[in-house]
Amino acid sequence: MAEITNTGTKVFARARPEESDRAIKLFFIAPAVIYLLLLSVFPFIYSVYLSLYDAKLTRMDRKWFVGFENYERLLSDPLFLKAMQNTVVLTVSSIILEVIFGFLCAKVFLSLREMRTGQVLRSIAILPMMITPICVGLMFSYILNPTLGIMNYLLSGVGIEGPSWFGNPTFALPTVIFINAWQWTPFMMLLMLAGLVSIPDSLYEAAELENAKWYHIARYIELPAIRDVILIGIILRVIDNLKLFDLVYVTTRGGPGDSTELLTFFAYRQDFRFFQVGYGSAAAVIILLISIVVTTVAVAYLRKVQK
Amino acid sequence: MNHMKTIAKGVSALALTMALGTSASAQDWSAELGDHDGTTIRVQSIADPFIDAFREVSPAFTELTGAEVTLDSFGYDPLHEKQILSCSQGSDEYDVLFIDGIWVGEFAEAGCLEPVEERVAAANPDVMAMDDYIDSFKGQAIWDGQLQCLPIAGYWHMLHYRKDLFEKHGLEVPKTFDELMQVAKFFAEDDGDPDVAGMAMNFQRGSAAGQQFFEWIYSAGGKPWESNYPGSDDPYADQTPLFNSPEAVEMIEFFKAMVPYGPPGVEQFAWDERANAFTQGKVAMINNWSVRTPLFTDPDISKVTDAFDVAMFPHADGASSVPPVGGWIMCLNAHGQQKDAAWDFMQWFASPEVHKDFVLAGGPPSRHSAMQDEEIIAAQPWVPTLYESAKAAWQEGRPRHAMTFEMIDAIGLQVNRAIVGDATAQEAMDEANETITQMLTRAGYLK
Repeated sequence: MAEITNTGTKVFARARPEESDRAIKLFFIAPAVIYLLLLSVFPFIYSVYLSLYDAKLTRMDRKWFVGFENYERLLSDPLFLKAMQNTVVLTVSSIILEVIFGFLCAKVFLSLREMRTGQVLRSIAILPMMITPICVGLMFSYILNPTLGIMNYLLSGVGIEGPSWFGNPTFALPTVIFINAWQWTPFMMLLMLAGLVSIPDSLYEAAELENAKWYHIARYIELPAIRDVILIGIILRVIDNLKLFDLVYVTTRGGPGDSTELLTFFAYRQDFRFFQVGYGSAAAVIILLISIVVTTVAVAYLRKVQK
Repeated sequence: MNHMKTIAKGVSALALTMALGTSASAQDWSAELGDHDGTTIRVQSIADPFIDAFREVSPAFTELTGAEVTLDSFGYDPLHEKQILSCSQGSDEYDVLFIDGIWVGEFAEAGCLEPVEERVAAANPDVMAMDDYIDSFKGQAIWDGQLQCLPIAGYWHMLHYRKDLFEKHGLEVPKTFDELMQVAKFFAEDDGDPDVAGMAMNFQRGSAAGQQFFEWIYSAGGKPWESNYPGSDDPYADQTPLFNSPEAVEMIEFFKAMVPYGPPGVEQFAWDERANAFTQGKVAMINNWSVRTPLFTDPDISKVTDAFDVAMFPHADGASSVPPVGGWIMCLNAHGQQKDAAWDFMQWFASPEVHKDFVLAGGPPSRHSAMQDEEIIAAQPWVPTLYESAKAAWQEGRPRHAMTFEMIDAIGLQVNRAIVGDATAQEAMDEANETITQMLTRAGYLK
């Protein structure tokens, strides 16, 4: 009996510290879990819930259940479909520009990395991504203003009549893409520069012995070496571009016509201008689903490449 | 003879001023207002030019009651967002809300406003002077058959034009759309004033272009929906949309034809861009809300201080001028915690006496007495034309129900698409009509 008691005491004595450890761990994890539940999980679940209702914020007492009708309406709403198309065009075009110019800039700064001037220029080059998108939008609104902006003034100096950059549907989306790429090229440049710096000198020396041209070096040495870095950069930028809002809000407000309407702007207008929170939540849920699908596919591809 | 007339005018003006002055000074505010020492009345407003006049006048209320008055101002869309979100949370952050007259249905339906009908009925009629308000704007403060707010800051549209350039070229002030286009074309193509475009209008997608549709449609001889026309007894009885009516399509074609005569980038112009272009002397004509007219006389920001004049809003051949009416009505926050103090401020501020001070400080006149006041006319020479516009305006010019914002935005998108060539006027307005029919049907306004 005494043995049994002893054994029991031993077991109890061993279990207590484990449970205590567990409690301490839970205690430390709790803030993060509560934070996530309150600020991420609950809003998401509430958005899904609202998306199943025809609901306007100013008369929530009169909301009614409509099932998936909001989703059906969205997928046949020409403006939403146009927003989806614009978002894809903006994301793909911006990222292509950012990768190309980011790589070229990274090459330039790689060759200047030993010089003090190069370090100063590199610091200056990353300034655009440190400015908030609202300010970037305002800045370019002034620069590209057709009446008072400096861009058209300079163009007129060489005999070119500058267009209405944000007022012409042909130019509006490319202009937004250009501004977006201008701001975020330094981000890709920094990532690629970090990758390029890690390439061993011996590979360059071997290429030199083989009389390789610069494009051979880029194609067979540099790009394969920094492929993972580029992919990670692309994934981050895809997520960023799916969330892009401020720039369009400041410069074009989705216009002219629907030429720069983006998914985020569409959802914002439904939620915060018309207070159609049911329809707007459905749009937000679709944006989230697109983000999850794109990111999952991209990450899976990245893992496959790494293997 | 002229000299005699001038003297007679001066004497009558003096008499009127003295009469008003006597009446004003006779007002015993201590009998009307409570003691609110230690209270702060918080006012939320649009960042329109009248807020400077508001701030100039308000301290007199502090002297009378001890209550401080503070005002926070916001842009058009942010103000709407903040007010609706605050209301949905039952916020008492602000006691007095300035809302756009066209938001009244949405705000009333959401329970954001405490109707002032009963308070007005209980107040001193001389202080309230409700008959003194101009009908076309007073109507914007009424919803569901009762007075929701006080119609403090009424705006009407007038044609603003460069009288110096008109005189230089011997041009007549346009009265019809055709004449307007001819004059706009003259300036756009005239070599004598190469930096001056013809006419700037609100073509930017969204509220700007959407509101412009409503601002022009009556003067174009059309109407936005079946039972909404000047003088209609029940404008909301039949809301069958008529956005693709022949008059509407013709008007949009007129808008598009005006684009080449506007300043560069006019497709993206909204209120500020339009007013700035005129202020900077870049355009010969604009249609503009009267609240901005005083800014054109400010030498610090305007290059056309003495060079402009105003005229009635133009109209299509065979139609008459129905100038747009808008502006800001002053409301009691339904969730406010100090409604009596806020109401005291509102009735004081809205009284004819203080309204005159407000207008003389640069605010927009909204009362008959202000429109006829010689002192005000001397300070703001455009007021007689404004008064004529105010009398010809139609209070239901823009929708005022809970779907207003969405409806105007949907039309603004299609008007802008037609302007920039994304669609023909007919295609764009057909789509607008279809979208709005679905929207109103879902909201229960259409069967």
